[in-house]
Amino acid sequence: MANDGGVAQSEVYDSSSIKVLEGLEAVRLRPAMYIGSTGEIGLHHLVYEVVDNSVDEALAGYATEVNVTIHDDNSVTVVDNGRGIPVDLHEEEGISAAQVVMTMLHAGGKFDNKSYKVSGGLHGVGVSCVNALSEHLELEIWRDGYTWQQEYACGIPKAPLAKAGKVSRKTGTRVTFKPDSTIMQVLTFNFDTLAQRLRELAFLNKGLKITLADERSDPEKQQEFCYTGGIAEFIKHLNRGKAVLHEKPIHCEADRELPNSAGTLTMEVALQYNDGYSENVFSFANNINTVDGGTHLTGFRTALTRTINKFGQDQGLFKDVKENLTGDDVREGLTAVVSVKVPQPQFEGQTKGKLNSDIAGFMTQFVNEKLEEYFDKNSTVGRKIVGKAIEAARAREAARHARDLTRRKGALESGGMPHKLADCQEKDPDRCELFLVEGESAGGTAKQGRDRRFQAILPLKGKILNVEKARYDKMLGHEEIRAMITALGTGIGKDDFDATRIRYGKIIIMTDADVDGSHIRTLLLTFFFRHMNELILRGHVYIAQPPLYRIKKGKSEKYIKDEKEFTREIMRRATENLRLEIHSTGNGATPKAVLEGAELRAYLLNLDEYEQMFHKVQRRLRDPRVVETLANIELHVDHKAEFQDEANLKPIFETLKKLGLNPEMRRDEEHSAYGVTFHDSTNAERTVGLALAAQPEYRRFRTLARTIGKFNEPPFVVVKNEHRESLPNWEELLNHVKAEGKKDASVQRYKGLGEMNAEQLAETTMNPEKRTLLQVRLEDAVESEEIFSTLMGEDVESRRKFIEDNALDVKNLDV
Amino acid sequence: MNCPICKKDVDFGDAGFPFCSERCRVIDLANWATGKYAIPAEPLEPEHPEPEDD
Repeated sequence: MANDGGVAQSEVYDSSSIKVLEGLEAVRLRPAMYIGSTGEIGLHHLVYEVVDNSVDEALAGYATEVNVTIHDDNSVTVVDNGRGIPVDLHEEEGISAAQVVMTMLHAGGKFDNKSYKVSGGLHGVGVSCVNALSEHLELEIWRDGYTWQQEYACGIPKAPLAKAGKVSRKTGTRVTFKPDSTIMQVLTFNFDTLAQRLRELAFLNKGLKITLADERSDPEKQQEFCYTGGIAEFIKHLNRGKAVLHEKPIHCEADRELPNSAGTLTMEVALQYNDGYSENVFSFANNINTVDGGTHLTGFRTALTRTINKFGQDQGLFKDVKENLTGDDVREGLTAVVSVKVPQPQFEGQTKGKLNSDIAGFMTQFVNEKLEEYFDKNSTVGRKIVGKAIEAARAREAARHARDLTRRKGALESGGMPHKLADCQEKDPDRCELFLVEGESAGGTAKQGRDRRFQAILPLKGKILNVEKARYDKMLGHEEIRAMITALGTGIGKDDFDATRIRYGKIIIMTDADVDGSHIRTLLLTFFFRHMNELILRGHVYIAQPPLYRIKKGKSEKYIKDEKEFTREIMRRATENLRLEIHSTGNGATPKAVLEGAELRAYLLNLDEYEQMFHKVQRRLRDPRVVETLANIELHVDHKAEFQDEANLKPIFETLKKLGLNPEMRRDEEHSAYGVTFHDSTNAERTVGLALAAQPEYRRFRTLARTIGKFNEPPFVVVKNEHRESLPNWEELLNHVKAEGKKDASVQRYKGLGEMNAEQLAETTMNPEKRTLLQVRLEDAVESEEIFSTLMGEDVESRRKFIEDNALDVKNLDV
Repeated sequence: MNCPICKKDVDFGDAGFPFCSERCRVIDLANWATGKYAIPAEPLEPEHPEPEDD
């Protein structure tokens, strides 16, 4: 009821205020104890304390709007349209109730248990603290048809609460305060800080409108927060700009009666998953952000883990998962808000960041029930969430394996280095080399052949796996990778890898010159590229070039690194003392042309490549006679347009007919072209047409046919030291010359590093004076990565094709 | 190019290249550690027996 006893109280005011003043003096002496700090955080807490009073009015169902204004002098006004603070005489204290609220610590809580079922208040210390820490505070109350006013300075009332005018139906409270500059170290309010907390309060109190205005800026800055969706909207706000797993946040709420008539517990939870990996969960108790969680959060987490696991089990989604999903797994990518309203909450710690009220069981039961109900109705969302958690569990498992790989010491190590490593004596990394050698036996040879002063050897064994009955796969085992990482000394991983700690200036990959060797090299390069690519960028990684052949004649020996060089060498040796006579008709006395020296070598090398292309085209047509037909340089079968004229294919048709291949001239309507189709020995259809003409090997074959065509007129007469030999065709000529080139020499083809002895390996591949090394550039590693991805990829077709193509090339090597 | 694990686009300048994230890097490292990366080998010939295990 309206009470205008302001004057009546004036007598008792002085005496009764002593106790009160003592209380507020304590706040002024130790402000940090009450509002956290006298810095930025404490300053903003002053506003929150006042706002919390208004929000309590909203929680009780009386206020619908709170307006906060920052004035030009950094004073702040908070207005609400609640009932207005009671103005009648407080019986115990003998002063107005409003003054009790403004001057007595914890008065808000004590004031009237029945007024607020639940109450917030940041520290539960109430608005009296704000009053104590303000150099000036003005209170205006609209209640019972009157306007009431009172002013304070440093918490001391200048006069009792007094009527200042009349209002019709308006109710509410306005508090304007200016923080005390002799106590607060920071006096300037931050708009964004206030906006963030006020927005949070608006989310937590569905439908409450909160405005924030800043008169310090011109034009005045203003924001309004009002969310009818409550914390579900909060979730959307937190997940803005993120890709979410399910469009609509999961939202549930419930009330429970607490035992012993302790009142009603209100619980509300909203959650949504995004595609990220971090957990973003906020918990609130009576609007207070419980940054350290507490019983409400524990209850929520327990239920979340339990319900998701149960749903996954029921749906049979854990077939490939070894163990249950952990709490961490189910919270990856989770954004959630947990809000409870508890009568007389118990908090822990000075900052009251943790809720201690005994409500975990209620919370778990509530979330279990609601979430299970939700998953029943929305199994698609449930499956997505379980899928995401399984992914997290796998990543957790992966992290364990990765850690295992990089742990400092292991059974196979002594003095920190792997047993298998034969280290060098030199300690200056710039002068040291590490050879990563394929296979134990080649590793042994390399150890004997090395210069132990600066060359270290680490043998790596590719492990053979029998994946399917007909296929074998090769990999580098855990210990091999681990030994390599340890030997290199750089560490691995985001926090551990340091390229400058490398123990060797050159890391040299030395593998066999066969398919397995190239695969091991691909594996190693891919590993370096993915996990140590700085070593490649810094130019530390090299590939050794072991020879493929050794040609020994008398005392001289020569090592050859590849097939191409080998052919050149053979041709060079063969043509040293050789002449080729081309006789256009029979054995005429005067040859049409005579080739020798460099010209002969060029001709023979072309012929050699022609032979290779011949075989490649033959692989497509499966009949050497047809390929021979296509070698005719008089034919017009090179360009697309030539295939559109049937006449150009007629000669081929006729030849194939004579060969008894029963050819057919077919029209390719799609390309308006013609092709000659025949059946090979397995009765499969083969066609000389546009598709064949588009193949690179066919084009090269035709080009070479023209190049050699000028002299391709058998018989060929080879003259050496006046000895003449006639050869009936180019194949015989090639064989004869190659045999000539190898005559009196011993030719050895190395299939692996292990076939060389230590001295040979040192001479050809390891000795810096004589060897050649290929430095690996980033492009090479990228290429390896692509090959590797193809080999690892799920695209079975491209994997098959890659292996097949690779196999073809290897066959060529073996010719 | 693409992240070897999740195939998201990554650029050379990105932190963690060639991976899109630390998580993908760790998954890849674990794949090496657990022998997930095996590539086709030539069929074993009788005269070149290699032991099945370390």
